[in-house]
Amino acid sequence: MRSGTFKETYPELIALTDSRLVWFWGAVLAIALAAAPYLVNAYLLSLLTAILITVTGVLGLNILTGYTGLISLGHVGFLVTGAYGYAVVSGRWGLPPLLGFAASGSVAALLSLVVGAPSLRLRGLYLAITTLAFAFIVSHLIIEAAPLTNGARGITVERPSFGGLSFASDQAFAHLCLAIAILTLFGTLNLRRSRIGRAFVAIRDNDIAARAMGVNLHAYKLLAFTTSAFVTGIAGALYGIYLSYVSVEGFPFLLSIEALAILIVGGLGSPLGAILGTIFVTLLPELTRSALAMFGSEAEALFSTGAQELKSILYGVVIILFLRFEPRGLVGIWHDIRRLWVHWPLRF
Amino acid sequence: MRNTLAAAALACAAGTMSFGALAAEQGVTDTEILLGSVIPLTGPPALLGVAHTTGVKVAIAEANNAGGVKGRKLRLVMDDDGYVSARTLQSTRKLIDVDKVFAIPGHSGSGQVVAAMPVLEKSGIPTIASVGPVKAIYDPPRPNVFAVGSSYEDGIRALVRYLGDRNPGKTWGIITQDDDYGVAVRDGFDTVQKEKKLNVVLSATYKRGQQDFSSEMARLKESGAEVFLAGGIISENIAMVKEMEKLSIKPVTGIFWPGRVEAILKLMGPASDGLYAVDYVEPFGSPAGQAFMEKAKPLVSEAEFKGINRYTMAGYAGARVLIEAIKRCGRELTWACTNAEMARTKDLETGVMAPIGFGPNSRFTDSRLQIMQADFATLSYKPVQ
Repeated sequence: MRSGTFKETYPELIALTDSRLVWFWGAVLAIALAAAPYLVNAYLLSLLTAILITVTGVLGLNILTGYTGLISLGHVGFLVTGAYGYAVVSGRWGLPPLLGFAASGSVAALLSLVVGAPSLRLRGLYLAITTLAFAFIVSHLIIEAAPLTNGARGITVERPSFGGLSFASDQAFAHLCLAIAILTLFGTLNLRRSRIGRAFVAIRDNDIAARAMGVNLHAYKLLAFTTSAFVTGIAGALYGIYLSYVSVEGFPFLLSIEALAILIVGGLGSPLGAILGTIFVTLLPELTRSALAMFGSEAEALFSTGAQELKSILYGVVIILFLRFEPRGLVGIWHDIRRLWVHWPLRF
Repeated sequence: MRNTLAAAALACAAGTMSFGALAAEQGVTDTEILLGSVIPLTGPPALLGVAHTTGVKVAIAEANNAGGVKGRKLRLVMDDDGYVSARTLQSTRKLIDVDKVFAIPGHSGSGQVVAAMPVLEKSGIPTIASVGPVKAIYDPPRPNVFAVGSSYEDGIRALVRYLGDRNPGKTWGIITQDDDYGVAVRDGFDTVQKEKKLNVVLSATYKRGQQDFSSEMARLKESGAEVFLAGGIISENIAMVKEMEKLSIKPVTGIFWPGRVEAILKLMGPASDGLYAVDYVEPFGSPAGQAFMEKAKPLVSEAEFKGINRYTMAGYAGARVLIEAIKRCGRELTWACTNAEMARTKDLETGVMAPIGFGPNSRFTDSRLQIMQADFATLSYKPVQ
């Protein structure tokens, strides 16, 4: 029984976890997630796949906004770039899907340099507006570059096959999304505990102090942008495959806001928060629908027929409630529960 | 002994019946057939989604009032996708796997159906797409997805040819949206422009969602265009016509069917008088349109009746195709039978558009088009000869 947390060395401090129990339950969760596609119906599988793709994208945004403190309203620009990167390379040019994935991340990362450069001088609201403008410019460029992107007509995307594996079935595609989400999670967790991650956090907390400590603001801010955009681009490729059809219309600006909402609800700067926030925000409408179903089919129908308006209201209310009562987000609540468990019956 | 035999016979009959029920497709019980619709019901696209659903409801109410389909009543469940492809995909899966509907008599817009196509195709569920029939929906033909209407390209070609013939030698202006709808409109226009060598003095595109057209209309005035194709949908066309009124210009103006909704005539005001449009469903100013309104009135609520527009007719026609196919399948209702019967549909009269038919390799009605003109006094469109 653990009675507290004692870290005596730096390796202990930066270890992913010092608890075998955490590794055990992590493995159990991974196995359960791997088995889930065979156990749930197609609708729940679709929701699970959407959650896994969103987790990947939000973890990408978390590197920029959560770790480095740079607000981006234009991440949907990287998402759509990634989707087109994959669709053009794999769909139109017929190159191997792995090259498509590489292109989706690389093109987004390259473009991030364009929007990352102003971040060296801009902060807060000014940077947010710049990234917002970037998202609109990207949409416009995609439409104008019709010979490459098929313009407003969009591109149909097939499910990939590589390494002797076919991801054509819904179950196999969910596994692919799960694998990429897990890789991204470990990637971001490792990034956070590295010198680079600590530099990101130093910039977030106080960039003048970070510079005084020898952190190269130019290099690290650009690195944060490119890393974040690369991961978001991969998520965009997965989202495009999930939709089976890539067009600018499928990537509304609202996706950027939803991603920020997920980070706020989950807890800024925490990968666990990004995961909890994604699950919560994605399942909130479903839980509300189920709750309404208890009041009869008419109440449930009310939700089905006014789903989008009710969803927007729900998201708004939840964000306000979290900002007012639990600014640390879901991850804050989770930490409180853990402390309660460890310290009980003492006050946590 | 006789009692035993009778009991055994009853048990066999019950067993056969229950086996029959078990063998039936999802969404079908002895008394009910469950249908599902994925459509935008909130936000600005609700103007088309709600009206389309009303049309489906009219067809269902009509069938139920006539005793249902072989003793089974039809029931509709709806899911709002907000006109967002990812949500259409989720909603389609929900209808098939959670609500377990038997068929989908109304699916969302063109891009949304294309996004949901792999799910629809894989499931095999009978589906009607009657909101925005684009080529990707019916070509290549899928066994279970049927498009009702006419292609955007054909529609715009018919309108431009008509306006070109009526206004020979005049200068033209065109403004289109920067999405797949706008591309289809422009493609159709370009074909006729080359064919008839139209003199285009203004050609512009606008970003979807744009509300201010003062700059574009100033350029239209400056260009001196005498015939104008307003390639917006609802609010865009209203803004363009109001801006033209403000600038005191009134070129011969054509609009396309996605925006041919009576409600916008009131919003445009007197400037809407004389607007040309093309459509494959009847205008409400025609005898067929009035007959449909009379039919719909007792079958839907007052609010639904007030919201009726061209999409109601499109929804009604699509749902009628499905219901007629279900009727022909009788009690042994399956997806395979319904899809096969829909493919066999020939010359089905719905009263709201030209007779509908499909074929073994055709999943598109490619319906006859007609040109119509707005009459502000009666807030309706009337067919032109």
